Amino acid sequence: MSKRIAGAATIGLAAVLALSACGSGSDGNGGGDGGDKAAGGPVTLKMVAADYGDGPTAENSGDKFWKSVVDEFQAANPDIKVEVQVINWNDIDKQVATMVQNGQVPDILQTGDYSGFVQDGLLHKVDEVLSPNTQSDLLEKFAEFGKVDGTAYGIPFVSSARALFYNKDLFEKAGIAEPPKTWDELKADAEKLKKAGVSQPFGLPLGQEEAQAESFLWFMGNGGGYKDDSGKWAIDSPQNVETFTFIKGLHDAGLTTPNPGTKDRKTVWEDFAAGKVGMVNGGPMSIPIFESGGLTNYGVTAIPGKSGPMDTTLGVEDWIMAFNKNGHQEQIRKFFDFFYSSSAVQKISDTYKLLPVTKSGIEKLSSDEKLKPFLDALPNATFYPFTDPKWSEVNTAIKQTIGSAVSGDPAKVLGEIQKIAEGS
Amino acid sequence: MQQMPALKRVARKLEPLAWIGPAMVLIAVVVVWPVIEMIRSSFLKISRFGVVQGSNGTGNYAKLFDEADFGGVMIRSVIWVVAVVALTVLISLGLAQLFNQRFPGRRVTRWALIAPWAASVVMTSIMFKWMLDPEVGLINMIRRDLGLIDALGGADADPLGAASTAMPWLIAVAVFVSVPFTTYALLAGLATIPAEVYEAARVDGASRWRTYWSVTLPLLRPALTVAALINVMNVFNNFPIIWVMTHGQPGYSTATSTIFMFILKGSDIGESAAMSVVNFGMVIVLVAIFLKVTNWKTEVPR
Repeated sequence: MSKRIAGAATIGLAAVLALSACGSGSDGNGGGDGGDKAAGGPVTLKMVAADYGDGPTAENSGDKFWKSVVDEFQAANPDIKVEVQVINWNDIDKQVATMVQNGQVPDILQTGDYSGFVQDGLLHKVDEVLSPNTQSDLLEKFAEFGKVDGTAYGIPFVSSARALFYNKDLFEKAGIAEPPKTWDELKADAEKLKKAGVSQPFGLPLGQEEAQAESFLWFMGNGGGYKDDSGKWAIDSPQNVETFTFIKGLHDAGLTTPNPGTKDRKTVWEDFAAGKVGMVNGGPMSIPIFESGGLTNYGVTAIPGKSGPMDTTLGVEDWIMAFNKNGHQEQIRKFFDFFYSSSAVQKISDTYKLLPVTKSGIEKLSSDEKLKPFLDALPNATFYPFTDPKWSEVNTAIKQTIGSAVSGDPAKVLGEIQKIAEGS
Repeated sequence: MQQMPALKRVARKLEPLAWIGPAMVLIAVVVVWPVIEMIRSSFLKISRFGVVQGSNGTGNYAKLFDEADFGGVMIRSVIWVVAVVALTVLISLGLAQLFNQRFPGRRVTRWALIAPWAASVVMTSIMFKWMLDPEVGLINMIRRDLGLIDALGGADADPLGAASTAMPWLIAVAVFVSVPFTTYALLAGLATIPAEVYEAARVDGASRWRTYWSVTLPLLRPALTVAALINVMNVFNNFPIIWVMTHGQPGYSTATSTIFMFILKGSDIGESAAMSVVNFGMVIVLVAIFLKVTNWKTEVPR
């Protein structure tokens, strides 16, 4: 008897351990929807989304945003329940990977990349989960990036573009009339700012949060990029090495954020908001951070390139996608169509200053003065080479190591990343 | 005895199983099985999202050993463990001795010592990260007021930005969170030493140092060995402190093998599994060396 009890206890304990191990990333609310379906009751859609806000307790948290969307949706569709789990950007990739490894995929995922899941055959095609009406409202150029080998899998969710923000008060204090247009002007202005006592004349976040964006913007300013025109990886191209040599020069002269290879963009944006940074590359989504920090007297302009303002910028698209494993195609379609026609799209732009991906959404925003520079930049935007299967691995390497090119040897650091990109 | 039916005899023989069986099952499920699974996945080709794409032979290991940062990461891990454990044990020996004395307020100070232990390690690490912020960090403000640095905001005020200054801080935080447990383990050890041996030492006219060296330390050895051993494993596998404070950056220059493994997980799960196996091997080797050095089996000479 005691053996049986002990045995049962053992199995129970093991199950608890196994469950808690699997659920470590999912707050333990995974599973369970299969039972609902068998019973013929309401279907529960499990959704995982990235947090565009300032964490779970903030007024603009993803939890609060999605709760308002889901409440509205559930009121209209009482037979579908939606459980949303919001995860911050630093952890979402790894947590989703853990879910996939454990066979606990969500029905809907909203994050920064979709292409990795396509190779593993995990996603619904867009045609299966989005009505033609909604599809035709998406900007063609954006929807195009959602395709792998001609078939659409990723649905554009939000987009953003980048520009140079500069602190007008600090510029005035340093006696600078105009924001810089070239690298030389940028350096000269940074020196003036330094003399005026600004501790970080140019904010340079090359830490793991978004080093890939900051580096890309600098590469573009010198006609470089992650790939060359023929589509081959060109991370250690002569232009890129020259670019980082220039950045290294800025850093060595004390004109940037100290130790940029360890600084996340959020920290640097907060420093800009606090008036400690003269200029910094940012996007519409940095506006709320600047304003909540009390900074309102800032200007926005095109990012300086080596010999003139850049005619392109970094465009970022985030995605929403549907997994095909749990067989909730119909319910997912209902939710997507509801979402794209609801006021939620407008709410994202208002709350997070992200740019819409639908024609109707952009039309509604065209009168917003603050977003105008970014809406104008979108048509010319350049995107990450994220449809390349090597991108995620390259991206990991960039995030971790590219910042050390500023303190070390640019050619060597970029060469190491190129080696990873070219590896099998 | 010989008349005992065969069945009963077998049952008799199997009886111990009833007692150790559950424990064996538990160990098999929660210890052995994950280890086998880990070793197995280190030979598989796995997509970034965890879908197995077939065998990869020893490819994952070849790729891992070929990483430019692999050697540095492993050396750093060993330095990290040795430095943190050595400092922790030294400080804890002193603190345990202090807290073993009777003095007013001993209860309060003993409780206070628990604080860093009771607080979540992630929380402690975030606090230290904030206190070391180059623009607004409290520690940096104190350093400026003491005249140790000229101004906030520069590289001087950014100890976490470069490996040479970040590692000492990381080690300090790791020692800070390890000391309470170690001290309490040693306090428990001190409590088991009978008062008679000290009396005997006094009668023999031994000095304080001599008493500590020849009486206290040898009798403390069991507690000391256990405490240090648990620390070795804990510190080697420690993840949150470095992850929160530096992410192993700049580059991989503050990453230990656990951090390296976690970053690899984002790009190549098979390679990350290979790193886990290497990590696992390292812990076993470190523990073996430790047990050899401390001669844990030999009896304490009395």
